[in-house]
Amino acid sequence: MTTPVTVVIVDDHEIFRAGLRSSLGETLEVLGEAGTVDEAITLIRSAHPDVVLLDVHLPGGQGGGGAEVARVVSADPECADTRMLALSVSDAADDVVSVIRAGARGYLTKTSSGDEVTKAVHRVHEGDAVFSPRLAGFVLDAFGVGGGETATEDDELDRLSAREQEVMRMIARGYAYKEVAAELFLSVKTVETHVSNVLRKLQLSNRHELTAWALSRRLL
Amino acid sequence: MESPSTSPDAPRPPLARTVDDRLIAGVCGGLARHLGLPVAWVRVGMAIAVLAGGAGGFFYLFLLVTMPEEGESAEVAPLRRVFTKAAHQPDASGHDAAVPGAEMYNARMPSAGKSSAGMSSAGMSGNETHLTETHGTDETLATSTSTNTNDAADTGTTARRPWPIAEILFGGVFLIAGGALFLRQFGVQLRLEVILPGLAVLVGVGLTWWLIADRARPERLQIPRILGALALVAVGVLMFFVTAEEPSVLTVIGAALAVLAGVALAITPWLLQLNRQLVAERAGRAREAERAEIAAHLHDSVLQTLALIQQRSEPASEVARLARGQERELREWLFRSADGGSAPERETAEAEISSHAATLEAQHPVRFEVVVVGERIIAPDAIISAAKEAMLNAARHAGGEVTVYLETTPDVVRIEVNDRGPGFDPDEIEGERLGVRESIFGRMERAGGSARIAPGPGGTGASVRLEQARPQVHDARDRTEEPS
Repeated sequence: MTTPVTVVIVDDHEIFRAGLRSSLGETLEVLGEAGTVDEAITLIRSAHPDVVLLDVHLPGGQGGGGAEVARVVSADPECADTRMLALSVSDAADDVVSVIRAGARGYLTKTSSGDEVTKAVHRVHEGDAVFSPRLAGFVLDAFGVGGGETATEDDELDRLSAREQEVMRMIARGYAYKEVAAELFLSVKTVETHVSNVLRKLQLSNRHELTAWALSRRLL
Repeated sequence: MESPSTSPDAPRPPLARTVDDRLIAGVCGGLARHLGLPVAWVRVGMAIAVLAGGAGGFFYLFLLVTMPEEGESAEVAPLRRVFTKAAHQPDASGHDAAVPGAEMYNARMPSAGKSSAGMSSAGMSGNETHLTETHGTDETLATSTSTNTNDAADTGTTARRPWPIAEILFGGVFLIAGGALFLRQFGVQLRLEVILPGLAVLVGVGLTWWLIADRARPERLQIPRILGALALVAVGVLMFFVTAEEPSVLTVIGAALAVLAGVALAITPWLLQLNRQLVAERAGRAREAERAEIAAHLHDSVLQTLALIQQRSEPASEVARLARGQERELREWLFRSADGGSAPERETAEAEISSHAATLEAQHPVRFEVVVVGERIIAPDAIISAAKEAMLNAARHAGGEVTVYLETTPDVVRIEVNDRGPGFDPDEIEGERLGVRESIFGRMERAGGSARIAPGPGGTGASVRLEQARPQVHDARDRTEEPS
């Protein structure tokens, strides 16, 4: 019997927190809940969960919402093992990208079932990134894939390599990692590596689109 | 001219200058209408009062300045009557005061005539008692009329101004002037060099005070009034010292300080009013912002609940479909503005696909996820129609989760509809499914594009892949023909 993955739920709507708590699988253990930015930071620092389910719109703190929590936790060396997964009603590019750039490793909309959320939590805990088709679409847009931009070197931060673009395209079209692997004749691990690389680029790139989004949220 | 109403139950028209029936400014007409007397009497009485000693002239001026025109009060007074119901009746009290005022006026008429006649005939025939009597009536008349004009002028506010300062000041000015004139008739020596500047200062302060009291009425003649007030105050203060007997350093300095003080006094009410407006505007803006925030929070709560409903219900159920439809609408409205851009026009490919998805979701047990990459353009009609067809098929025969991927590169437009249903083999199309072949494949071919149906993600379901070249319109000289 593997130890359950510990989770903290951060959301300012109490009804939703309760609903989510009851729909999560048994392999997860909920350590606590928080409703504001300050409460969340305090709770994460004291409870040290494996994964944080983070809402994007939160009151308190300096008004940065979930992205603020993500930034503070990512910068804290004591919370190095805590991973963050964003869960929100909004799927606006603004919100998604800002919280990813602040340190979240995935983004789900709240219409996902408890099952999907549980699977995503496990995936994030194991070090992978969770990309919904919409997030993949935002990534492709942000990196100018529609305009035909392709990275020529491996460590180029501002563009996606051809392989990464392929993987992102398939995810955007609704393919799960397994199916991407099957279609492209790769192993699932390779697919996950590509996705993690894309996440890293998304977080670190200084592309105009990404910085513009961040600027509009005063997160720079 | 309407007959004067004598019954106490009939409501009195408010004291306002008439617009239609006027010789100079409608003062007598308004007064007559308010008191219920024939206009001719009022006019004659006023003329006599003016000619005899001039005190009546001040009274006329007082009324002229403080009485509003008929139209102004008429449109606001009914509203005030609606708001001020049984609790406190400023109208009734005003009218009650008018009754003794009317009586006073009637009493004054003959007495004024008598005293003025007495004065004009023999300078020494008047005596102290006569004077005090006239003064008494004059005073009560002034204050009661001031209450009337207060009510008439106080039409916009909700009747909470206990002290009509401006009117009292004016009344005082005219009283003093009238009294001084009367006194002069009897040879009483007056220190004019004190009285006249004092009057000027009083009038100046009264005018500026009137500015803040006048917020109920539309601001007319504001600049002349301000200038007049300032000028009067300055003049009055100056006169105090100019007419002093022995000018010295002290008096000159005193004069300068007095002028400054006078000007400051005159400006203060105006500054107060400006400040009040500023505070009110700021409060209004804060209220607006708070209201917007509350609305946003409410909408957010609704979104949460809708998401919860979808989570907890069967994906194919009616409840889930309804919740999804509402959630999509609300989310689009809320967060499209958060994205920083204005809502896309109806005709872009993204908008058309999204709205079609919404329609289908309302009719079938399906959930569409629309992903858009690249430039937001108005796509050619053929590919959009074919895509809508494919979406309809997915909704009908597959249901569940369907992804629509729309990508725009500089050369082509690609739309891919992926479902996880039972899938179908295009070679085995029969009967009704023939429509698919025609509407999707045929259309795309005719338009110069391509259509492919492959197995969907993971080998199950169907993946309809549409591709069409974008119409090249940026080179005007070398325009390629648009695909039909």
